[in-house]
Amino acid sequence: MSSKTEETGKAGVIVAPETAHPVEKISHAVLDDLLYNIVHDLLVKVHRDEKTARANTAAIKVEKLAMNAIDGATTDPKPDVEIETDAAIYKDGKVMLKGNPLKTTKEILCPRCHLPRLLHPTDGKGARKPDPGVIYCKKHPYIDKPGYDIYGQTWVAPGPGRGKKKKDQKLDPNDPSSPAPVEGSAKDRPPNVLSFPSATCSKCKRCILVTRLNNHMGSCIGNSGRNASRAAAQKISNGSNAGSQNNDNTPPGSQKGTPLPGSRAASPRKRDVDEFDEDAEESDPSNPKKKKLKLNALNKKVILKAKSPAIPGPNKKDKPKGSSMLNVEQKVDDDAAKDSTVQVLPKKQTPILKGLSPAKKIKLGPAKPPLPSPAGKKGKRDRDMESESSGTMSSPPR
Amino acid sequence: MAARPAIPASPKNHKVKAPQPGQPMYGCEHIQLLFNQGQAAIDTSIQHYKAILRSIFDTTPLISQTAKLTDGPTVTSLTPTYLCLQCPFTLTEEDRARHGTKKSHRFYVDSRSGALYCQMCDDIVWDPTFEELRLRKMGTGTFSTTRKRKHEDMFEASDPVRDNPTYISSNTTAASCKANGLRGIYNAGATCYQNVVLQSFLHNPILRNFYLSDGHQSSNCDVPHCLSCAMDDMFQDFYALENTNGYTAANILSGFWISEKKAFENLVTTKEQDAHEFFQFLAEELHERNGDGKRPEIGSEHSCNCVIHQTYYGKLQSTTTCQNCNGVTNQVQSFLDLSLPLENLSQKRGKKGSSRPGGILTLQECLDEEYIKSDKCEYRCHNCNSMQQARRQTSIKRLPNVLSIQLKRFEYKQGRNERAAKIDTPVQFPLQLNMLPYTNRARSQDVRDNYELARSCTYDLLTVVVHVGEIDTGHYMSYCRVGDQWFAFNDHKVELAQKSDVLNSKAYLLFYIVRSLS
Repeated sequence: MSSKTEETGKAGVIVAPETAHPVEKISHAVLDDLLYNIVHDLLVKVHRDEKTARANTAAIKVEKLAMNAIDGATTDPKPDVEIETDAAIYKDGKVMLKGNPLKTTKEILCPRCHLPRLLHPTDGKGARKPDPGVIYCKKHPYIDKPGYDIYGQTWVAPGPGRGKKKKDQKLDPNDPSSPAPVEGSAKDRPPNVLSFPSATCSKCKRCILVTRLNNHMGSCIGNSGRNASRAAAQKISNGSNAGSQNNDNTPPGSQKGTPLPGSRAASPRKRDVDEFDEDAEESDPSNPKKKKLKLNALNKKVILKAKSPAIPGPNKKDKPKGSSMLNVEQKVDDDAAKDSTVQVLPKKQTPILKGLSPAKKIKLGPAKPPLPSPAGKKGKRDRDMESESSGTMSSPPR
Repeated sequence: MAARPAIPASPKNHKVKAPQPGQPMYGCEHIQLLFNQGQAAIDTSIQHYKAILRSIFDTTPLISQTAKLTDGPTVTSLTPTYLCLQCPFTLTEEDRARHGTKKSHRFYVDSRSGALYCQMCDDIVWDPTFEELRLRKMGTGTFSTTRKRKHEDMFEASDPVRDNPTYISSNTTAASCKANGLRGIYNAGATCYQNVVLQSFLHNPILRNFYLSDGHQSSNCDVPHCLSCAMDDMFQDFYALENTNGYTAANILSGFWISEKKAFENLVTTKEQDAHEFFQFLAEELHERNGDGKRPEIGSEHSCNCVIHQTYYGKLQSTTTCQNCNGVTNQVQSFLDLSLPLENLSQKRGKKGSSRPGGILTLQECLDEEYIKSDKCEYRCHNCNSMQQARRQTSIKRLPNVLSIQLKRFEYKQGRNERAAKIDTPVQFPLQLNMLPYTNRARSQDVRDNYELARSCTYDLLTVVVHVGEIDTGHYMSYCRVGDQWFAFNDHKVELAQKSDVLNSKAYLLFYIVRSLS
């Protein structure tokens, strides 16, 4: 502040009235200066990120041109090429800027993969449509949209019977008919709705839906306090299945068929579905991913029917068959998907996922392929990845 | 200007930073010209820049904020001034152009950030050589690269191939640009108390660097159901895979159930447990897997070189002064976290009828209560050889790299129906915390002008664990900071969070990380 009392500080935003007392004027000026400093610090930070990214982009581009010019054959750190772009010069193995990169360079290339960065989120606040002809770096701006996570994903709410709640509908505004029949809303359902995966209990090697894993481990491993008695009671009532020692003798199919303790799937109809699931799995154990998705669709249909008392039980059996055709199609997709990126998947799977109603979740647990042999750690991780990625219709819609 | 320290003649030549692939060598064409004038120009520019940074970061801001107008009065300003790189003048923004025209000096240093302004570009430029100096000064307080961060030395003590640049590229595959460590963790049935603690570990840069640099390789570990291996696997999955869906922490969970340690009394699977107890359990378990194998004795001074001790453990010193003979006894003990009681303080506040509404407390008030104020106690004095009244005062002897603070929101009420109650008093906590007043150095020496000491006691908020709802039916969620962006982690859901969301939350656990690792 200079010796004279100014009406305002450097930002010129917080201004004292002309008639104000000098002390008041000074405090306005001080506050105004502080505001200026906040904005200044913020700008310096953003400026640094942006300008450095653009300068590096200019360098990456000119280096690429230089490498092309020398065919990348030489390992000489100072290849004898001189390349000049609008933004930079490549000479003696060094990159020199030309002008201000904020003016000369418009896009930002990822310093790691050298692909252009997507600069706006694809959904939610500040969203813009990305250019479909451009392959972007996989690091995308995070999505800020109520009900969705930073990747634009949303989840089917856990637990049975929640599909019709208002809360769930809010989560999925694109699909107001989510509890409605599968066929109707197939196109509307975003491909980014995930379901809950299953995991293997490290002791008994059974596949447990993640939301019940803690419960299961408490009784399977915990063995303490009143859980012990509970576990013992379960063992007695379930026969050999609950004990880990007997696992090897138990065919995986029957292990799966055993309802979990505390499972809500108490109705015999549901159990039928489970068994069917297992059969489907066993027919093709190599493809746990697709299977699970398929099963979701299956289950869904079944459940929907089950909800309406008018439809008799036997219908259930028909549905699965219909979906086993789906099965084949699905496999084709799967192969294609393996070679290409994950992005391919969402579209094709959309119809299946869309149908997913919360009630089905419970089924997902047993739907996972049986893992009867305690595979090595490595193997376990691979499996986890696989099964997790099955749920990953995660890439934001393009 | 007399204020600028004299520049000693440097015996060695300064170097422009070697060109890096994917990065221009100079900040702009004009810096290129400056550096190409010869070794003398390079030396003086870099020496001047270092001297300017020292005056900005190591001395009172009064010096760098005071500009001498060329032919006018001296002006001290709150807003940034510009320190000429080529002569010892400090200028206001308005005078900068005139000085440039008169002296042909084209580079100025912004007094708030230390950033370099180029008058020819009329823009701030980010030159790799200068920027490296600036970041080092801000980050560690020193320009020297030889004074390496202590724990970094420890983590990568022997790596003979570190200097071979092709070794890493030929032996590794780079993680996808999509893998960024931001994933939720599925709730495995009332395990949100574990998820919030795991997220705080995952976004702790020290632990992340430890695990991602093979600090504990699960492939080399024979311990069955080792929790540290489970952590290693989890870090790999978060930072190396492209998955964006939730993570299933099955191995952590089974390791937790299998662990022989009694983590919780009355462990019931379907019930929520205390996140703070889980944090202590996990820290002790990881210490045993990575450290000297000794069980940490609570209340004693325990030093260990394991990653957990290097990250979370500090030391407290309690000084007991006998009121009779004035004899002093010191006792030092390690701490994993600071537990701050809220109940007494908020009651006191209520009685006094504080000016602040709703009995809002601040974190600093809670810390004052525990680590500045002293209390009276009875103790057996050795000198007097009898029970005496004594004054006991506790302060922090060594600050940890990551400071974990528990606000005691759950208290067991003694009485007819003994039960736990939750204290909902809001506690305001800062993004940036100065711990200097709570250390034993705060009293022992004049620290007002010791900027380096102040810097080493400055902490930035890293993670906030929040408990919402009632004590039995509540839910845990957390906020973690990655870079400058805050994220809200609610089991498998990860959302963007505003700073205001974070600061308005009713924190239960707070994790602060030290700003400069020196």
